[in-house]
Amino acid sequence: MTPAQALMEAAQPIHAPPTSFWRRYVFSIDHKVIARQFLWAGLLFLLFGGALAMLIRWQWGFPYRPVPLVGGLFLRGSGGLIGPAVYQQLFTTHGLIMIFFAVTPVLIGCFGNLLIPLMIGARDMAFPRLNMYSFWTFLLSQLLVLASFFTALGTAGAGWTTYPPLSTNVGMPGLGQTLMVAAIFVTGASSTMGAVNYVTTVIRLRAPGMTYMRLPLTIWGLWLTAILTALFVPVLGSAALLLLLDREFGTQFFLPAASAVRGGGDPILWQHLFWIFGHPEVYILILPAWGILGDVISFFARKPHHWYRGTVWAMIVVTVLSAMVYGHHMFLTGMSPLLGEGFMLFTLLISAPSMVVVLNWVLTVWKGSVRLDTPMLFALGTAFVFGVGGLTGLFLGDVSMDLYLHDTMFVVGHFHFTMAAASFMGAMTGLYFWFPKMFGRRLDERLGKAHFWFTLIGLTLVFGGQLLAGYAGQQRRLFDPFQYTFIQGLRGLNRWTSYFAFALFAGQFLFVANFFRTVFGRRAAPSGPNPWEVTTLEWSATSSPPPFHNFDRIPEVVRGPHEFSNPEVRRLTGRDYAGQAEVLPGGGEPAAAAGKG
Amino acid sequence: MRPRRLTAALAIGLARAAAADPLPELGYGLPRDASADGHRVDWLIHFTMAAVALVFLLVGGTLLFALIRHRRAHPAHYQPGRKGSIGLVLGFVGLILVAVDGPLFVHTLFDMRRVFWNFAAAEERPDVVRLEVQARQWAWQGRYPGPDGKFNTPDDAVTLNDLRVPLGAPVVVQLASVDVVHSFSLPNFRVKRDVVPGDITRLMFQARTPGEYEIACAQHCGPNHYKMRGILTVLPEERYREWLRTAEADARRAYDPDDAEARWGWDWRPE
Repeated sequence: MTPAQALMEAAQPIHAPPTSFWRRYVFSIDHKVIARQFLWAGLLFLLFGGALAMLIRWQWGFPYRPVPLVGGLFLRGSGGLIGPAVYQQLFTTHGLIMIFFAVTPVLIGCFGNLLIPLMIGARDMAFPRLNMYSFWTFLLSQLLVLASFFTALGTAGAGWTTYPPLSTNVGMPGLGQTLMVAAIFVTGASSTMGAVNYVTTVIRLRAPGMTYMRLPLTIWGLWLTAILTALFVPVLGSAALLLLLDREFGTQFFLPAASAVRGGGDPILWQHLFWIFGHPEVYILILPAWGILGDVISFFARKPHHWYRGTVWAMIVVTVLSAMVYGHHMFLTGMSPLLGEGFMLFTLLISAPSMVVVLNWVLTVWKGSVRLDTPMLFALGTAFVFGVGGLTGLFLGDVSMDLYLHDTMFVVGHFHFTMAAASFMGAMTGLYFWFPKMFGRRLDERLGKAHFWFTLIGLTLVFGGQLLAGYAGQQRRLFDPFQYTFIQGLRGLNRWTSYFAFALFAGQFLFVANFFRTVFGRRAAPSGPNPWEVTTLEWSATSSPPPFHNFDRIPEVVRGPHEFSNPEVRRLTGRDYAGQAEVLPGGGEPAAAAGKG
Repeated sequence: MRPRRLTAALAIGLARAAAADPLPELGYGLPRDASADGHRVDWLIHFTMAAVALVFLLVGGTLLFALIRHRRAHPAHYQPGRKGSIGLVLGFVGLILVAVDGPLFVHTLFDMRRVFWNFAAAEERPDVVRLEVQARQWAWQGRYPGPDGKFNTPDDAVTLNDLRVPLGAPVVVQLASVDVVHSFSLPNFRVKRDVVPGDITRLMFQARTPGEYEIACAQHCGPNHYKMRGILTVLPEERYREWLRTAEADARRAYDPDDAEARWGWDWRPE
C-alpha cells in the first residue's frame, strides 16, 4: 500500500454494514441504496408524467371526445371529457413532474449517488447523512405533488414556468398551486443538498492517482451538473419562496400595478429569476447524459475516447456559457435590443463546444471495433435525438426567428428532443449499462433491443410531429388548437402524432417487464464483476453489486478511463482493456497514450 | 359517386369563400405571409433549415458509415486523437461558426435594428397607423386615436377582437394587459410580442396582402387561453378610411362620460 492509499484508508475506515431492516433499506446512508431509492421514486413518477402526456396527446388528437379507459375513472364529473381547466393542469403537472420529479432523480439522484463514489474510488459520499436527508426531502416534495391533485380546485395550472400574475392568487387561487410551488421549493432544497455533497465528494475523495484528467467523463458530467445545481437551484428556490409569500402572506413581489391586479411588484422579475435557473437546468439535465455517452461510446467502440481533454473543456465551456444565455427565453418580453443581441450571441456560441462533444463521439467510433449491445444502441440513439434537439435550438436562439417560432409547438418539439428524448435515452443508456452493478444481473438483451427501437422511433416521430406542427404555426398549450382556422390542416398530423405517442408509451412496458423479470425472476444468471469488459473502477476494482464499503482496499489509479486496444496491454494480459487501477504483469507500464489525448 | 363528391367539395369551397372567416391554410409549412417584412424571418428559417440539415446529414452520415464499416470484426485502432483529427474537429467547428452562426447573427442584427424593432423609423412615416391594444382574460380590446390623433378621448374608435389596418402603411401597436401576461401574435405577419401587466410593450408590422388574418394569444393565460382569438383585417386604403369613419361615428354615439371602465386608453408613448 502506498502512503497516499494509506491516507485515504485512514480517512475512510471500513464500517460494519447495518443489520436492522430499517437502517439497511429505508433510512440508509449507503449511497448505493439511496441511488436505488431515487431510481424507484423517479421511475414511478416517470410513468405518472408519461400518463399525463398521453392525456394531453388525447386532447390534441381527439378534442372534445371522452377519454377511453381512464376517463370514466378520473374524470367522472365531466363524463370522461377533458375540460380546459383540467387540461391546463395536465400540461403544467406533466412538465413539472417530468423535469423535477422524474428525470432529475433518475439522472442525477440515482446515477450521481451510485457512480460518484464508485467511479472515483471512494467508500461513500463525503456527507452520507446529508445524502439520506436529500432523499427524504425529495420524497416529501413528491408527496406534496401528489397532495396537490386532491385539493378543491385541483392541482397547479399556470404552466411549468409558473409565470405570475397567473400563478398568483389572481389567476390560480387554489391550494393545489400553492402545494406545487411548495413542492418546487422543497425539491430545490433536496437538489441543493445533493449537489453540495457531489461537489465535495469529487473534490475531496478521489482515490490516489485519480487526477481530474483521469476522471471518467460520466463523473465530469455529474460534477459539472452538481456545480450548476448548487449555483442556480437556490435561485429557483428563493423565487418559489417569494411566490409563496405572494400567494399566502399578501406580499406583492410579482404583482404589477395593472387595473385588475393592483400591486407594486414586477412579473418580469419572476421570469428573470426563473430563467437564470431555467436555462442552466437544461444543461443540468443534459450534461450527465453527455458524460455517460462519452464513456459508453468509448467502452463499446473498444477505443480510447477521441480527444478526451477537448470533450472535458467543451463541457466546462458549455457549463459557463449556460449561465449567460437565459435571456433567450425572454426575447419577446420587451427587453432592450442590445441585451437581446448579447444573449443571442452567447446562445449561438454554445453551438461550438456542443459540436466538439458530438464530433468527438463520432471520431471515437471511427476505426473502433463496435459492439452493438443495448447500452451502446441507447448511446447512439441519444446522440441522434440530441443532434436533432441541438440543431433545432439554433432557430430559437435567434431573435428574428423567435418572433415567429416563440411559444409554438416548434419550441415544444425542440426541448423535448433535448430535455426529454436525449435525457431519457441517456438515462436508459446508463440504466442498461450499470444495471449489473446495481442488481448483479444483466437486463435481457432481446427485450432491451426491442425497447430501444420502440423508444428511438417513437420519440423521433412524436417530437418530430411537434416540430412540424410548430413550423406550421400551431401554438403550444392550446386546449383546442383548432380554434384557429389557419392550422385546420394539422388535424391529421396531430392525430398521427398522438397514435405514435400511445405506441411509444406502450413500448415502455417492455422495459418495465424486463426490469421486473431481471430483478425478481429466477432466470437471469449473475453477471460477474465486469460483464462489459471495461476499465473504470466500479467494474475493474470491485464486485457486482459492490460490498457495503465498495472497495476492500482503496485503489491506486494508474491510468485514464479509456485504455482500450492498447497493443502493449494485449501482449501482457491477452485482453484489449486495462482497468484504471490495474497493475499489469511484469510491472512494466505501457506507454499511456490515452492519458495524453 | 365521384361527381357528387366533387360538387360537395365545390359547395364547401364556395361556402367557405362566402363566409367571413379567414381561409384555412393547407397545413404543413409556414402559414401564408401577408406582411412586407415576414420574408426576412422566412429567409432565415429556410437558411437555417438548409444549414442544419447539411450538418446533420454530414455528421450523422459519417457516424453511420463508421458504425457499419468498423463493426465488431474490425480491430480497433489505438488512437486517442492526433493533431490531424483534432484539427478536423476544430476546423469543422470553425466552419460552422463562420458559415452558419455568423451569417445568422449578422442577418438578424440588421433585421432587428432596421425593421422589426425600429419603431422610430416607423413613427416618422406620415402614413403611420397608431393603435392601442389592451389584453384581458380572454379578449383583445383595440383603440384608434380618432380625428384628434390623441388616445383616450371621446372620439376614439374602439373595437373588440377586431382590428383593421390599411394596406401598405406601417402599423405600430402599443400593448398593455389588465391582468396576466399575454402575448400578441400575428402568425401571418411573423411578429409576436408579450403583453405584460404594468408595462407597455410595442410591436410593428406592415401589411402586404388584403384579407382576414388571425390574432393569437401565444402565452398561457388561464383555462380559456385557447379562445383568446381575434381577427385582423387588412383593407385597401379607401375602405379602411371608410370603416374608420363609421367606427368613430359609432364610438361618438356610444360614448358615456360616466363609464370609467371604457376609458382604458393611455397617452401614446414614443420610444
